[in-house]
Amino acid sequence: MSIDKSDIEHLCNLSKLNLDEEEQSVFLSQMQSILKMIEELQEVDTGEIEPMAHPLQMTQRLRNDEVTEFNERDKFQKNTDFAEDGFYKVPKVID
Amino acid sequence: MERHTVKQLQNMIKDQSASVEEIYRLYKDRISAMNDSINAFISTEANEFSSVGDQSDSEISGVPYAVKDIFCSEGDQTTCGSKMLSDFVSPYDATVVKNLRQKGTIILGKTNMDEFAMGSSNETSFYGNVNNPWDLERTPGGSSGGSAAAVAAGMAPIALGTDTGGSIRQPAALTGITGLKPTYGRCSRFGMIAFASSLDQAGILSISAEDAAIFLEHMAGFDQKDSTSSMETVPKYTEFLNNDLKGKVVGLPKEFFDGSLDSKYQDLVTDSIHEYEKLGLKFKDISLPNIKYSVPTYYVVAPAECSSNLARYDGVRFGHRSTNSDDLDSFYKQNRKEGFGQEVKRRIITGTYVLSAGYYDAYYLKAQKVRQLINQDFLNAFKEVDVIMGPTTQQSAFKLGEKVDDPVSMYMNDIYTISSNLSGVPAISHPVGFVDNLPFGLQIIAPHFKEQDLLNITHRYQMETDWHLQTPEICRGID
Repeated sequence: MSIDKSDIEHLCNLSKLNLDEEEQSVFLSQMQSILKMIEELQEVDTGEIEPMAHPLQMTQRLRNDEVTEFNERDKFQKNTDFAEDGFYKVPKVID
Repeated sequence: MERHTVKQLQNMIKDQSASVEEIYRLYKDRISAMNDSINAFISTEANEFSSVGDQSDSEISGVPYAVKDIFCSEGDQTTCGSKMLSDFVSPYDATVVKNLRQKGTIILGKTNMDEFAMGSSNETSFYGNVNNPWDLERTPGGSSGGSAAAVAAGMAPIALGTDTGGSIRQPAALTGITGLKPTYGRCSRFGMIAFASSLDQAGILSISAEDAAIFLEHMAGFDQKDSTSSMETVPKYTEFLNNDLKGKVVGLPKEFFDGSLDSKYQDLVTDSIHEYEKLGLKFKDISLPNIKYSVPTYYVVAPAECSSNLARYDGVRFGHRSTNSDDLDSFYKQNRKEGFGQEVKRRIITGTYVLSAGYYDAYYLKAQKVRQLINQDFLNAFKEVDVIMGPTTQQSAFKLGEKVDDPVSMYMNDIYTISSNLSGVPAISHPVGFVDNLPFGLQIIAPHFKEQDLLNITHRYQMETDWHLQTPEICRGID
């Protein structure tokens, strides 16, 4: 499967990532060689094989519905300079 | 300098030939003396001696250790090797750190690593590459390169690392130390910054297998906060170390011995096999037919999980925040552009591609099916053999800069190590000799939850040989 510059732009948008022109062209050629490498998987016959999502093939455990964690908002908000009155500030969203 | 093992430090503390504080200061002094040339630590300011280590009568109380900067440790800067987290201070401890803290161990500092653990040479770190103590112009491997270099150079007796595709075993091999990746789920992943959640596992870089056994007993175990951690009982690993090896059968996969390994490395592997024969191990040729698809499978699964895990870094609640944006969309994009390095961006883009509409079945689902086949290969092999052996890497430490512009060639570094992460089985690397004064490692792989066999086998080898005790030239004249 081949990939071109417009694909890279689309992927950047999907993953919310800005790349400058030079990065885009470097990535394009590197992505092509990575895709060529992973293309090898197509030769494997996997007809009836169950996909493996997890190494221990276990089911997700559920815990009792009891409160074990408490709100530590002030502590966690120490990791930004852009918190005010318990809120996080971001650029204006609505005019 | 004398590079002490954890076992030796325990004895020194017990017979009072050195105080806990003297031992701590010794390592801090070595870090001050050597870190400029090796760059193994990102931060060492936190955890001043007086404020650390719960008083505990545990057997590892007072033992200092280094922590890969991917683990949260309360109150410490935790960067994950990234500009994105350069100002991030952990509000809590990772479970493995908490487990060790409760036993009275003391953190020496946070070690350098490839950014978000993505890399095999430590060159993707925002904080500069780590230099291999055996040759400062070469890589110590990655992504746990700082932890490996710190232990190899005697700046820490033991260190925590993580292994997603070989990130403990490959740097251990390239720096001449012992590196253990436990079974997936053996140690909690809570507070360990996520890269690829179905592959990530915490482990240990140490001088000896005995030291790894001592630490793993205290690190491992079920954690309510990690739903993928295992409820399997944690054995007393140290009690298995001296078990007799007679009658154990080792599989040698023909895919690991296909002639592609340079003869100078092959000779070291052969010598170690002879040593193991003397210890009573029996060898058998086996085949893991799908293992050749490990690297392509990994480079679909790992970037896919990475692109999803790293979506959380938007710069709103923590992490790098750009001043160059005026609307929300460009705010996100600019924060991530400035905060992430090249390798991380490339994997996010690759992962987004293999998960995107129209490609999911062809790439991601296909890779999960091939992953199942690789896992089956291991399960089948372990019906016939107790463990599997082979080289850890294809070559000893390569020059810094040598592979940095060619991702596919860099990815091929992990050709022998990746399959254990895909299957979830535990594996260890230990040094088996030198080529041109650079160490080389042997890898041993065991069935799920058989870490005690890896530690037993390696310990018996290390009782008969002294490759793991070799110290790089740079350590002379320190202390």
